[in-house]
Amino acid sequence: MRQYAFLFFAGLAVTLSTQIINASETVRDRFQVSSFGTLGISHAGKDQFGYRNELTHKGQFDKFSIFPDSVFGLQANAQLLPSLNATVQVLAEDQVRQNFNNIVDWAYLSYQPTPNTMIRGGRMGIDLFMLSEIRNIGFAYLWARPITEFYTPVSLSHFEGIDLKYTKNSELGYLEFKIYGGQTGSDIRVSRGDFSVRMRPIFGAIASMETNHWKTRATFAATHIDETRNTNLTRLLNALDQTPATIWPQAGAFSKLINGEGNQAYYYSIGLTYDKHDWLIQSEIAITDSAWPSVALTNGYLSLGRRVGPVTLYTVGSYAKSLRDSKTVSPRSSQSDINALQTITENAFNAVLINQNTISLGMRWDFHTKMALKAQWDHTWVRKNGGGLLILKEPLDHDITLNIFSLNLSFVY
Amino acid sequence: MLAARYLFIVFFILAMLPANVAADIVVVVNAENEIDTLTKRQVIDLYMGRNAYFPDGTRTLRFDQPSDSTVRADFYHHLTQMKLPSINAYWARLIFTGRSSAPVPLSGDQEMLEVIENNKYAIGYLNKGSVNNRVKVVFELNSNEIE
Repeated sequence: MRQYAFLFFAGLAVTLSTQIINASETVRDRFQVSSFGTLGISHAGKDQFGYRNELTHKGQFDKFSIFPDSVFGLQANAQLLPSLNATVQVLAEDQVRQNFNNIVDWAYLSYQPTPNTMIRGGRMGIDLFMLSEIRNIGFAYLWARPITEFYTPVSLSHFEGIDLKYTKNSELGYLEFKIYGGQTGSDIRVSRGDFSVRMRPIFGAIASMETNHWKTRATFAATHIDETRNTNLTRLLNALDQTPATIWPQAGAFSKLINGEGNQAYYYSIGLTYDKHDWLIQSEIAITDSAWPSVALTNGYLSLGRRVGPVTLYTVGSYAKSLRDSKTVSPRSSQSDINALQTITENAFNAVLINQNTISLGMRWDFHTKMALKAQWDHTWVRKNGGGLLILKEPLDHDITLNIFSLNLSFVY
Repeated sequence: MLAARYLFIVFFILAMLPANVAADIVVVVNAENEIDTLTKRQVIDLYMGRNAYFPDGTRTLRFDQPSDSTVRADFYHHLTQMKLPSINAYWARLIFTGRSSAPVPLSGDQEMLEVIENNKYAIGYLNKGSVNNRVKVVFELNSNEIE
């Protein structure tokens, strides 16, 4: 029922936005409503290993579904004063936790004291990668969805705080510098159930340069993992903390490794795009450094597209690999309850590690100035104990391959 | 032998065809606007959302041709060497990230002339043959500029 509610909400959003836009030319100057969306169908996953393209989504277990790729959004911009604007963006998608907090993706005020400077405050898109602020707007990028290996591990969509942006037109190109600070968080699903993480503070910086055909950018972000919530994780940590060192000396060390709270995480990325005539190239690489194995990884992708009339054919290669290796608890305890705890601990640790890469082939057909149809096939290799992006019904103790078939209709209005 | 000669002639004709047969396009402002010329870079910055101001610091009102028109496709391709699908996706990125608001699309040259004539800070583009003396040409894109 909840799933169909968001489709209804989306249709209503599109209808309302069109009516508002057409209502009055005068109003349109001060108040603009735009909508965007993707209606998609995909087949992905295996019986025991669920695929998802966002950690905030449920797993897809060898089934067709319209929900993983479908998203609808409505964005309203109001000019309150000549230099003061308000923006709200709401999203309807099949998230693990549907509540008002997750539906309102953006709500901020922006003030432009000079043509080159902008200050924003409120809830805003978190600017970590090329697609950060448009990851839900399928029309704005080439592929059927943001590259799984690069975008899925970072489930952060927005942050609450302030940012300051400065732009400059120079001989080199159009330069943009941004710094931001605030707090963020996410409600996701992992193999052990629903998981909430809150990061505060988070701060970061972005520098980008854009010429007619090239865009390059570099980002940095640092955060403190303040709070994590997961019932099964709490039980496991309690059990580990209560295990006497005399019985299992490594229990305390495992508890520290598995528990994310109190750790720092540092994110570095660089990206590049090229778009001229019929060729489109895009690449990003990143590294997330942290003592918490769940988030410490390196990932990247290279995308190559060739336009043939209104159709763009493309291929993408991508990878994601945790910086920590899997662990095997040894020696095993002869006590059955401790032995069982050791098995649970080993599986819990290894279940969050990521080691996979994907080759994608696809086409995007811009059959309308505001709509595009996309078809994509992904072939993914997931290594033993590297299924951290999947929902695992059983430990991933062998290599597997996955095929994802997607057909999407993306639009903006 | 005859076929080879035929193929040579066909290839020769194809090679001699111009890359694009689009008409010349001009960028125009209100006749009372103090701006007399804009550079290609300044026009690109205005129509790629990197700047919203005339060189004298006054804010522009940017107008666009119909979204699926040939003149719009030619205009952006002349300026940026990007195809219309890339331009449309590019503008979607700017609009939804709040970086810029898009030039307002009009119905064609006639409405473009009317809007520019009636607003001192308006800027737009149209086919060179449509220009009248109530608007001022500040930049000209020739079809032979196409790469």
